[in-house]
Amino acid sequence: MKKRYYIVLLRVLAPVLAIVLSALMSSIVILAIGKSPLQVFYTMFKFSLSRLDSVAIMLYNATPLIFSGLAVSIGFRMGLFNIGVEGQYLIGAFLAALAGFSIKGLPAVIHLPLVILCGALGGMMWSFIPIFLKVKRGVHEVISTIMLNYISYSLIHYLIADVFIDKSQKLIQGLGSILSRTPKLSPSAMMPKLHGFLGLFGLQLPRHVYLNWFFPLGILTAALVYYLLMYTPFGFELRAVGQNREAARTVGIEPERVYVIGFLLSGALAGLVGLSDLLSYFGYMDMDFPRNYGFDGIAVALIAQNHPLGIIFSAILFGFLKRGAEGIQTLMGVPREMVSILQALMIMSIVVIAKLMNDYIKRLEKKEEMMVCSSENSSPPA
Amino acid sequence: MFFGELLASSLRMAVPILLTALGAVFTERAGVVNIGLEGMMIVGSFWGALGAYYYGPYFGLLLAMAAGMFMALIHAINTVTFRVDQVVSGVAINILAYGSTRFLSLAIFNMATTSPHVSGLPKINIPVLSGIEFLKPLVTDVSPVIILALVLVPISSFVINRTVFGLRLRSVGENPLAADTLGINVFKMKYAGVLLSGILSGLSGAYLALEHTGMYVEGMTQGEGFIALAAMIFGNWEPKGALWASLLFGFSEALSFRVVEGGVVPYQFIKMIPYVLTLLVLTGVVKKSTGPAASGVPYERGLK
Repeated sequence: MKKRYYIVLLRVLAPVLAIVLSALMSSIVILAIGKSPLQVFYTMFKFSLSRLDSVAIMLYNATPLIFSGLAVSIGFRMGLFNIGVEGQYLIGAFLAALAGFSIKGLPAVIHLPLVILCGALGGMMWSFIPIFLKVKRGVHEVISTIMLNYISYSLIHYLIADVFIDKSQKLIQGLGSILSRTPKLSPSAMMPKLHGFLGLFGLQLPRHVYLNWFFPLGILTAALVYYLLMYTPFGFELRAVGQNREAARTVGIEPERVYVIGFLLSGALAGLVGLSDLLSYFGYMDMDFPRNYGFDGIAVALIAQNHPLGIIFSAILFGFLKRGAEGIQTLMGVPREMVSILQALMIMSIVVIAKLMNDYIKRLEKKEEMMVCSSENSSPPA
Repeated sequence: MFFGELLASSLRMAVPILLTALGAVFTERAGVVNIGLEGMMIVGSFWGALGAYYYGPYFGLLLAMAAGMFMALIHAINTVTFRVDQVVSGVAINILAYGSTRFLSLAIFNMATTSPHVSGLPKINIPVLSGIEFLKPLVTDVSPVIILALVLVPISSFVINRTVFGLRLRSVGENPLAADTLGINVFKMKYAGVLLSGILSGLSGAYLALEHTGMYVEGMTQGEGFIALAAMIFGNWEPKGALWASLLFGFSEALSFRVVEGGVVPYQFIKMIPYVLTLLVLTGVVKKSTGPAASGVPYERGLK
């Protein structure tokens, strides 16, 4: 029994070790450009955590990553790798924007949920192509989703710059042409900020913070995904397929069906990734719409070891890193890409450490089994 | 004349895909999936430009290959020594490549996305053939790297199919346990395959920066590392097959430039062509071709 706690402790310790290890390795890069690693990390902490608005920005940064981490983790749980979250959230965000600016006159209670639904639908549509190709034609989902990411970049560019460009914009002085962006979303489609709610507790957030209700919604979604995975028949099937596809087949689970439903679910979550930015900060979609949330989601999911509740914490960790990156760039002149390097090193460290620990735990369990067996054999006959 | 130019342009477009696809053949035949080829091309393009900027094109090529090999070494340590998921490690390599090149570009050139202009290798005119009018665009002002890439196809084919090294490499990818019992050093062969893929992808990145564009530009690889993987699959895990597949992709890109000039189709759709083609190729071909049996499966001694 004592061993059980030990194993749980090891599982929790793995991400912590990975974070420390990758921080140490990235120190080499910092030293290479002649800065002090200690000072860089100290600046990151101080810049992110010393002020209330900074903490709120950190949580705002974490919001899309909760959704993308969840989307990626559902794929991992069933043994598939959804690298396509990147394209899925762009398509989802575009469809949401379309519903936001083309429909007018609806009350917010109907319009906003409709817009969110459109986002999920867009992500789902874009995730249908790779899973269909996988199940029907055996195309590996990694390459097909990467290709679809590139296709989505061009498609979004076309839709924004050529089809749905906002022609009502006023020309800015000194600029020859109008900006490539969609029309502004109607106010009924926008997500309210958390300022009013937090104000009830005496926390006053300044106007330049865009923390909104998508953050609590993300936490709620993580809890729902946790429930789905752990306490529903479908969640059980999904995990069974991820553990051993052929074994699942022999007990009557159809892996192809699980793949399709699971991947569409992953795509639907991916469709929500961009909405926090779209419906609170931007209010329209343009060529500068944030990229890379899909790839960040891979790191978020891996650090959390694909645990839905762990994803909340690892998303906040990456939100912190992003905020800290702005700090070290402005205050110390260290390029913020430092954090990309840190992120890559974290992915590598966590998979290596998790692998080593799993091997170790397996050995522990085997030893325990052997001890039980031998003690049974040696016990004197009654 | 038009047709000759189209062919020449196809060849120029095909070379980076071909070099990386050859690398992909080596690593996959050794049983290691390498999604990080794209990242290795990225570091190749950056370090190639960096080396060429300070010490000339030859040094640039060498530095690019070394940088590609270094990334491959990380991938090999992750996947062969620590036996972690090969796709995850490859994705991490890509992120590391993206982050580190941006970081270094800012630190060294003070620009995040481009390097200053760099000069490439001296161009070659192939003597006898350049007299023929029809072939003129194909054989004049040819980059030596193009010739190197084409020469590497039969060499790779020979190495993989006719040498002891190649036999061992293939046996490790097909059945590592059997190879191990025959006394082949499985880990050494896998390292060799992965490192070769890094060297070739680095060279391919350097070709893009030095020979094709004349500078490093962020995102200049445009997913060609992934397309090369598709070319390798389409080419049935054989260097010669990879050549034809790369030429097909190169041709589609070259053709798309001509279509853009026509102005009929919006250019965003033209940009999609290589990626849509990759999807189509994989959809049509995957069920027919089979890769090395143990590709993607980490080898653990004493398993079972």
